[in-house]
Parts: sequence; structure tokens; C-alpha cells
Amino acid sequence: MMLKKIVYGLAGVSLLACSNSGDPYQQTSAALGEQVIYQAHQQWQASNQQLVSSAQAFCQDGQDLTQTRDDFLHAQHAWAALQPLLIGPLNEGNRAWQVQFWPDKKNLVARQVKQFLKANPEPSLADVDRGSVVIQGLSAYEYLVFDPEIDLGDAMQKQRYCPLLQNIAVHQQQLADEVVGQWQGQDGMLAQLTAFPNQRYAEPLEALTAILQAQVISLDGLKKKLGTPLGRTSKDIVQPYQAQSWRSQASLSNLSAEVESALALWQGVDTHSLRSLLTTEHAELVKQIDAAYLQAQHELAAFKQPLSELLQDEQQRKALFTLYESFDRLHRLHEKEVARALGVQLGFNAHDGD
Amino acid sequence: MQRRSFLAGSLAALVGTAVLGWRFWPQGRQPLLLSARDNTAGEHFAVGYTLSGEQLFATQVLERCHDICMHPLLPLAVFVGRRPSTHSYLIDLQTGQLLQTFTTPANRHFQGHAVFDAQGEHLYSTENDTDEPGRGVIGVWKLNSAQRLQRATELSSFGVGPHQLLWMPDGETLVVANGGIRTESGSREELNLDAMEPSLVLMNTAGACLSKEVLADSMNSIRHLAVASDGTVIAVQQYQGDWQQRIDLLAVKRPQQAFQVFPVAEQQRSKMQQYAASVAIHDELRLVAMTAPRGARVFIWDLDSAELRLDAPFPDCAGVAASAEGFIVTSGVGRCRAYDCRSTNIRMQPLSLPAGRWDNHARLV
Repeated sequence: MMLKKIVYGLAGVSLLACSNSGDPYQQTSAALGEQVIYQAHQQWQASNQQLVSSAQAFCQDGQDLTQTRDDFLHAQHAWAALQPLLIGPLNEGNRAWQVQFWPDKKNLVARQVKQFLKANPEPSLADVDRGSVVIQGLSAYEYLVFDPEIDLGDAMQKQRYCPLLQNIAVHQQQLADEVVGQWQGQDGMLAQLTAFPNQRYAEPLEALTAILQAQVISLDGLKKKLGTPLGRTSKDIVQPYQAQSWRSQASLSNLSAEVESALALWQGVDTHSLRSLLTTEHAELVKQIDAAYLQAQHELAAFKQPLSELLQDEQQRKALFTLYESFDRLHRLHEKEVARALGVQLGFNAHDGD
Repeated sequence: MQRRSFLAGSLAALVGTAVLGWRFWPQGRQPLLLSARDNTAGEHFAVGYTLSGEQLFATQVLERCHDICMHPLLPLAVFVGRRPSTHSYLIDLQTGQLLQTFTTPANRHFQGHAVFDAQGEHLYSTENDTDEPGRGVIGVWKLNSAQRLQRATELSSFGVGPHQLLWMPDGETLVVANGGIRTESGSREELNLDAMEPSLVLMNTAGACLSKEVLADSMNSIRHLAVASDGTVIAVQQYQGDWQQRIDLLAVKRPQQAFQVFPVAEQQRSKMQQYAASVAIHDELRLVAMTAPRGARVFIWDLDSAELRLDAPFPDCAGVAASAEGFIVTSGVGRCRAYDCRSTNIRMQPLSLPAGRWDNHARLV
């Protein structure tokens, strides 16, 4: 694993060297691509490798359920951290749906897992690969290890669910390997964020557009992920079971992971970041965005209970609405102001075609 | 010369390859790219650029336009209002002058597409009857000697929510993509997702329905078309149902054959995100190109064998038009691109045109 990282790291060094053109947009695309986005993909890949080992150890009675749940939470956290960074291979061919199924208004995860196991009592990897995306990903894994309907402490149930548990983990690992593989090589995604023109991006501005767009979609998604359980779309009637990751009570830590990754794009590495691309005439905007991230981080850190419990408390609900406003501020500042300042057009036909 | 063969000859430029308007555009000059485009302030324009980046005109219009239809003989083009607009624009291509803003009759609105007939005497536009929301109408407009379009009559589209229409090579038959979606006046909201009625209709200008065919899934809205000189019709769809459904978005109607799925591998189909934007056929190279802006991919297949020739990323790819070498593709967010398809390896070249905010369709003169 370490050797792999070193090899990738060396590949990255050479790519960055290639990008040393003096064009700040190109340098920023290359730096964010390699040191923020690709690294997050590698961490997600590593978490999936761990998930495979973890599922295997649990099913062979070499590990307890607590550790198994922790390993799942680690993989889920790595996935959440990828949300503002979803560009390239992972954003194509419905791959992201294979990892997490949300929103799940009709509790399809539970229903489809049950149906799938009825049809495939001892599912093979091929069965999982052929199955619906709903049963292939972390949402189904979360259902298996956290749902109150299932008791993996019971030997009979463990025997019943383990084949699916293990094969979901392998499916996730293979997906991550495939995606990370497509980041590497001469025509890989990392090269396409570094040297222009290429088959994907004609110029650095297009690459930065894709990066900013992923960030904006994620910031918008934060609002949905918080607003839906808060009842913003259901006459303020709280919907705790509509929250992302409600079973593992990881809703808020997922939101934190997303905010941290969005911030990583904003702050960048060394002197290369979205922030540093804004000129002195945008100093006020920079100040507003710095403050907006800080505000969201502080508000998130102040919550000490799971979202489902916070939703039952009037005072805490108010605080969650305040957090929603902070997400909205971040979203608007990036979608409108940063895009305008960078000269970026975010979507046109894809969002409003005909 | 028989009227049919004369029409067929004139129509050769109106179908398929779609490098149009050669009668007035000087030989040897860079092709002229026509499209609707916005500026950074969100204002709407009808634009004409050479492929080398020279702006010939950028004429401001009231609302977003969608497709462009060229007059076959004169340097005129209609930039058609995007639904539910009631306005379309007749533009002088040599000066960019807006000659006429013409509006639909009461209780009608444009659906984004229109075609001139081979003589350039009549324009046929897809429209929605908002008295009976969704009822498809083909508006017929006469171009008078003062170069103004006047409403002459209208025909049924024999379906719901017509979108694109094109001529078949005989010059007398229209092929119409009825999208199947009912909408009301001034609205883009779908009213009948649970009871859509998309169809592909062949009809004549006398208003007779020659054939009406449907696809297997009623939520697969037939939207855009390309017609080859041999009469092969490609239709591309926008699926209104669940994203998880495995739905084919391309269909083909070959001469004397039924309307059927154009075979696309799952690896490509899954990248389209249930949404195809524009389609074009290159007659000489027998290729079909399609843009999928939600999936940010552009695809090219062999028209006859359906063999995949290109599956390439292209953010917010929009309009596609056949060029001498292959295809030109525009983008809502990035640079327009030229794809040279003359050899086995298709080569892409970014064009020196303004980047981004190009609308859904492009035409080359």
C-alpha cells in the first residue's frame, strides 16, 4: 500500500512538473487535481480495501461488530469527503449511485436487500454485480450492519447476511480500483487536469469549471441533506428517516467531511487554490467566504448528538436551521460570486436543456 | 425535370449532412456557424461566427432561441424561439439584421424547431395548442416578397408535444418527433408524466398522416432528429422516468423498416444520464453524432453498423452539426470542438470561438 502511494506520488511530481506553465489556472487545476482530488480518491480506495478485510474478518469471526461498524464508518466518511470532488470517472456511468443510494424516500434499500436475498439466498459477487445499484453500495452495507431489524450478533443472521456483506465490500473495492485506475496514466484524469488541451478539457478554465461545478453541486447537496430531514420541503415536519446515513447516525459527520473537502478546494495547496485565483479586487469576497466556512465549521462542531436526536429538540432544530443558512450562504457565494469572479459558466444545457 | 426529383435535389442540402446554404455562401470561405447564445449578463443572441472565430453578427433577441433553420436559396435564417416562447426571429445572415420578429397566433407557442420547404416559400414550425395543452400543431408560414413570414395555416402533428421536425429526402414528407409531453401556456412544467404519448410521425404537407410509430417505453420522450440522404431517420430521446431504468435513447427508422432501437452498448448508454440533446448525421462518412450534456459526453457511431467510433468527455456539450471533416460540437460551458472523423482515429481540435453559453443546437452554412 505504502509502495503504491509512493509510486503515485512520484507520478504526481512529474505531472506537476509538466504543468509548470506559469498559467495560474493550469497550475491550480494541476495542484488541486493531484493533491486534493486524487488524494481523496486514493483515501476512498484505501478505505474500501479495509472494508473488504473488515467484512472478511467479521464473517470469519475474527472481528467484532463494533470494529466492523467503525470500518464501515471510515469508508462512508471517505466517500462523503469525495462529494465536492466528484469529477471525472466517478461522475460517469451512474458509478456514484453504486456507492450510495440517497435520497431513499421509499426505503428502497431495505426493500431491495430483502428481495435480493430472497432471490439470491447466498449471493455471489456476480449476483451483486448484476443487481440493482441499491444493493451494491454502502447504503445496503449500512443497512446490514446498523439496521435494528438485523442482529448480526445472532449466528443464524450472520450466516444469512455475510455473503452479501462481503460481496458489497468487494464490489466497492473493485469500483474504487477501476476509478482510481482511470485517474492514472498518460491519458488519465490526473493528466487531463494538468496538460491542455486534452480529450476532456480544451483549456485550464474548463478544468476549473468542472472543479468549481462539483464543489457547487456538493454545497447545494449539503442543503438538501440537511433540509430534507429538517422538513424544509415537508411543511417543517421533521423527517429523520429521510436523512442520509440515518441508520449509522453519521449524517452530521458526513456533512462535516463534505465541508472540509469543499474548504480544501477553496484553500488549496501551497499557493494554488480557488481562493488564490481571486485578485485583490475580490478581497471582500475572499473575506466573506473564509468567514462562511469558519461559521459552518463552528456550527457543525457544536452539535454533540446525532441528527435524529437533535431533530426532536426545538432549540437544536433552530440551530440546525442556522446551519442550513450557513450552507446556503456558502452555496450562493460559490455559485454566483466565485463563478463570476473566475469567469466560469456553471452549466447551461445540462441544467436547462430542451 | 420531375417535381419529385427536383425537390429531392434541392432537399439534399436540407437533410443529413446539414452544411447548408451553399448557394449564397462564397466558395472557399470558412463555414458559418449559427446558434443561439447568451452573454455573461444572461442576455440572448442569435449569432453567426466563422469557425476561425470571426463574429459576423450577434443580434440580440427577446428570449432564448433553440434551433435555427436556413432558407434554402436566400441568405436568411429563422432562429426559433425556445418553448414556450411565442417569438421567433428572421435574420439576414449577411448583416445580422433582425428582419422580423414573428409571433404565434393566440393559444399557440413555438416548440423550438422549424424548417423551410425546398422552394423557401413556406416555413413549418412545431407548436403547442395551449387551448388543448399538448395537442401538437405544425404552423405553416408563408414568406412573402417583402421577406416577411405570415401565418398561412396549420396542420396537426398527429401527436402530443411536437419538438423537432425535418424533411425526408423526397422533400414532401415531414418527419415529426412528438415528444409526448403536455405543457400549458407559458410553462415548461410536464403535466402528464404518467400518461405520455411520444411518437414518430411521417406526414405530408397536405396534412395527411402517413405513419405513426412509438417506442416501447411511453416515458421516453422523442425529441431530436437527423435524416440521412437515403431516408434513414435517427431519433434521440430524453427519458422522463427513473434514472435507474435501462432505457435506450437512440432509435432508428431505416427505409422500409419499422422504428426501432439503435443499438448502443451499456457502457455508453449508462453515461448518457437518460438525456440526449442534439443529433447530426454525416452523410458522406455515414456517421451519427450525439451530445449528452448531463453525462458530459459526445458520441459518434457508424450509421449503418452502429459500431462505436467515439465516446469522449465534453462538458455541457450542446449543438452538433456535420462539417466537411466530421462534426462541430458546441458547449454551454467550454470551447467548441471540431472532430475530424476522416480516419480511424477521430481527432479533436478546440475551436477559436468564444467559450460557453452556446445553446442546444448549431447549424453550419
